[in-house]
Amino acid sequence: MSTIRRFRAMDLLHFNNVNLDRYTETYDSQFYLSYMSNWPDLFTVAESPAQKLMGYSMGKVEGTGELWHGHVTALTVAPECRRLGLARGLMRGLEDASEKIHDCYFVDLFVRPSNTVAIQMYEHLGYILYRR
Amino acid sequence: MEGRQLRPIYDALELPDTKYAEEECEKLLRKHPNHYGAQSIKAFILARSGRPNEALLLGQSVLNTPSAMASAHVQQGLSLAFRALGRPREEIMVYTAALSFSPNDESLHTKVFKTAARNSMFKEQHHAAIQLTKLSKQQKYVWWLVVSLFLQAKHSKDDVSAPVQLKLAERLVEKAVTDGQLTSTEELRVYLDVLDIQDKHEQMTEVMADNGQLAAMISNDPDLVTQRINLFIKIGAYNKAIMAAIAALESRDNWADYKLYIEAVVTLVGQAADAEAKHSLVAGISSNFEKWAGVRGKARGAKLAQVALATRMHEAGHGDIVGSPEALIWDYLTEFQQKAICYSDIMQFIVARREPSVLEYHQAQLEQRLPAARDSATNSDDAAQAWVNLEKIRYLLQALMGETDPKAWMAGIEPLLKFGLGSSQARKKQPSCSDMAFIASQRIIQAAFLAYSAADQREQLHSALFKALCVLESGIQLNDNSFLLKLYAIRVYLYLSCYERAQTIYDTLRIKHVQLDTLGHLIIGHGMALGCFALDMELCYNGVTFYDRFQSKMPRDIEAVYQQGTYSNVQDFLEFQSNIVHSVQRECTHRYALRGEGYEYGNAKETLARWEEADVSSIEHSEQTLSALHDNRDVSVMGLLTPKDMAQWDLELLTQSTPIPGHDFIRAFSLVPQVMHYLVCADIESLQEKLSELTLVVDNTNDTLSRQDVLFVRGIIDVGSLYIQASDPQNEIDDQLSRLLSVIRTNLPSNELDPSLFSLSSDGIRNLSAAAELFTYMLALKHALSAQRLPAANAVGLALSQLRKEALKSVNTLRGWVDKNTRALVEEQWLAENDDDIFADVKRFVVGGQKQTTSMVTKACTTSWLRSVKNLLSQWEKCSS
Repeated sequence: MSTIRRFRAMDLLHFNNVNLDRYTETYDSQFYLSYMSNWPDLFTVAESPAQKLMGYSMGKVEGTGELWHGHVTALTVAPECRRLGLARGLMRGLEDASEKIHDCYFVDLFVRPSNTVAIQMYEHLGYILYRR
Repeated sequence: MEGRQLRPIYDALELPDTKYAEEECEKLLRKHPNHYGAQSIKAFILARSGRPNEALLLGQSVLNTPSAMASAHVQQGLSLAFRALGRPREEIMVYTAALSFSPNDESLHTKVFKTAARNSMFKEQHHAAIQLTKLSKQQKYVWWLVVSLFLQAKHSKDDVSAPVQLKLAERLVEKAVTDGQLTSTEELRVYLDVLDIQDKHEQMTEVMADNGQLAAMISNDPDLVTQRINLFIKIGAYNKAIMAAIAALESRDNWADYKLYIEAVVTLVGQAADAEAKHSLVAGISSNFEKWAGVRGKARGAKLAQVALATRMHEAGHGDIVGSPEALIWDYLTEFQQKAICYSDIMQFIVARREPSVLEYHQAQLEQRLPAARDSATNSDDAAQAWVNLEKIRYLLQALMGETDPKAWMAGIEPLLKFGLGSSQARKKQPSCSDMAFIASQRIIQAAFLAYSAADQREQLHSALFKALCVLESGIQLNDNSFLLKLYAIRVYLYLSCYERAQTIYDTLRIKHVQLDTLGHLIIGHGMALGCFALDMELCYNGVTFYDRFQSKMPRDIEAVYQQGTYSNVQDFLEFQSNIVHSVQRECTHRYALRGEGYEYGNAKETLARWEEADVSSIEHSEQTLSALHDNRDVSVMGLLTPKDMAQWDLELLTQSTPIPGHDFIRAFSLVPQVMHYLVCADIESLQEKLSELTLVVDNTNDTLSRQDVLFVRGIIDVGSLYIQASDPQNEIDDQLSRLLSVIRTNLPSNELDPSLFSLSSDGIRNLSAAAELFTYMLALKHALSAQRLPAANAVGLALSQLRKEALKSVNTLRGWVDKNTRALVEEQWLAENDDDIFADVKRFVVGGQKQTTSMVTKACTTSWLRSVKNLLSQWEKCSS
């Protein structure tokens, strides 16, 4: 349970408890801002009842014709907020927006083969391995 | 023809080779002195090369030549020049001048619009948008106009025109709706903003009606669903708010919606006529919460909402209708204590009610559960996490009850250490073990500050903090992922004057980009305070580069918002831009970079040139500009277990080795370069003025500057005063010179007394660093006097030479002493057999069970001190007068 809302630029000043995790990369501000500019409804954040950022998902839409799809660029959850189903919730939000707002045919993502925890989570959400 | 002439310059810029481009400009201008295209591009090159004054003069002279503005090359060169100079008004003037030749040029009007939009020039933005709507039928220009009108009205101080602008914006949007031209959620958000600012909340609810034409857009946007509920509350339609909240919560689990639901009910309860009505309202919401608590994936939200409802009802004076929040808190804990987030969820509700009876209730509940939780922690990760959460609550309750007995804080530390650092789960990197190590370290640090708060107990404080450091490092060794342990390790190392190891740990956090603004304060500036200028300068330059790059790139992102039509980002992006460009940390980083450059050794010519050429006007600050700065520094990341309003238990505050720099620091270290500039330029009047300002700052600091910074700044004031005194040949300078030299001497290591571990870990290295820094500035004084009053310069030079010899001797002795003795002293004094019994358990644990780490920490401390002293010795060696 959290407040799921659009990611705002000012959230970049408060996401350290998520981004200090060693497996979460911090990009140039322009990277985040470009996603907010282009695909604001695919960039969402989960905020705790104590108003701390818990995690966020970044996505975009791309492709043409039947390959028009949503793509998950980043999905990260703060270490103390794991095992709450948050990643699942953020993914669902991204999928809904891809389908209902952008009329996409499918959603895809990249994941490292070594990240078995993430692979398991995506498989539970119904994702299949498409290609290596 | 013009293009062909300019081609070599463009080619050079593309390389990029600014110097070569400038040469090509000069070549062309020698042949054609009035080649405005070349002049414009030269202005741009000058702006990029850090010669803003020359660039501005040249650019303005071209701008003031109307005939020149017809050329596209001139327009491009000048606009780039003024953009690089941060002069949006002049940039707009370039486009306006160009428009006099091509009044219907859509791209020029767009450039005016974007320049104004990037720079929050709302009036100019508005006018440009009007021109665009006249020129083109593109719907996006209508929305640009609507947004411009909204922004202008919002930021306007004109009470007459603002409502007119908003009304116009509203009409434009209504027409768009009627014409079916409102097609995106972004446009809908703009519409709602326009209505909201006019307090037309009823109208907003109509726009957001369930059965309205925009309903589909709203239902797909989580923010708008919540906004709709909030709107109903704003217009006093609490029943509608409740219905909307229930509808939303049936399909999703959103905390913001729970809060609004609770707010609406609490308000209605307050308005209800009789007890029966109140109870009915509460029964309704409670029953919904109960229902949702039984739904998979919603239990946590609903249960916490029950706690929130009870707390809110008590706050509003209706506590008699609901159950006790305390009982609900413990129900929540029973169900969710295996989740790491549990403590964070529930802390605000425990803190909300601090009456003794309430705290006693919590204490009783805790005492019932804690032993069993501790005993079963090794059964599973969930059980361990439950124990961690209870230990956090134990910590919180002790603070809320005002516990100041350090022994009480250290009670029960051993099981925390054993589980956190010595168990098989810890070796498997179980996250709850890192959490437990963190709690243990917090207890040790808290106990240390409570036990040894007096000035004559600092030695014992350092001993206790060293043990905390061993615990932190043990935790880091076991699980490198725990950034909380690293943050506190950095803090404690710096507290003990160990810069090198602190910086190494900081590097492992890979802090970069925007994090330099929010977290840079953890390390930037500390190197300079501890003799490690070069390392600190590198960090400062990274910071300065980030801010410069941000300032040059952010405008493009604001333009992109208009281009993409994602208008809801406009205000947010402008606020973000303002926060970073005018951030306290940016100013502090810049001041530290200047300070580091001032410390760099150079010969007389280099030193004088550095201060003479220093750009001192751009670093001036007024009260107004200072108060407009934003402090984005993130201290919440330190994971405090207690509320921020409890200073005595605020470990983030207590572990600060020096005050976090703020306005006084910015003021002082803006004035220091100015003092040196006017001193070197022999401008006595300006020098006196700046010395007075600097004196005012340091006399009124009120603990906002570190002791060493105060020492250094007062030293600079004395340097300036000595220069003024020496400027008049009739004045004697001996007394003043002696006083200044004695300030430095006092802060050198003593040749009579042996150094001590305590002096090294507290002020010793800091004082020595301040002394070395001040000496460097005295050299600059001597070089400045050499040109003007040679006898005084000779006297100063002789005295400095003598002082340098003394310093070299004593610092060298210190270096040898640190190298030979500190390791053994740490083991003898900080891990002593007959140590204070408060920390005996910790000492036994770290010495007995964590030998390798304890040895590593000892080495890290001694190496760090040695590095600092060696750097300082090297600085003294270089500083020959």
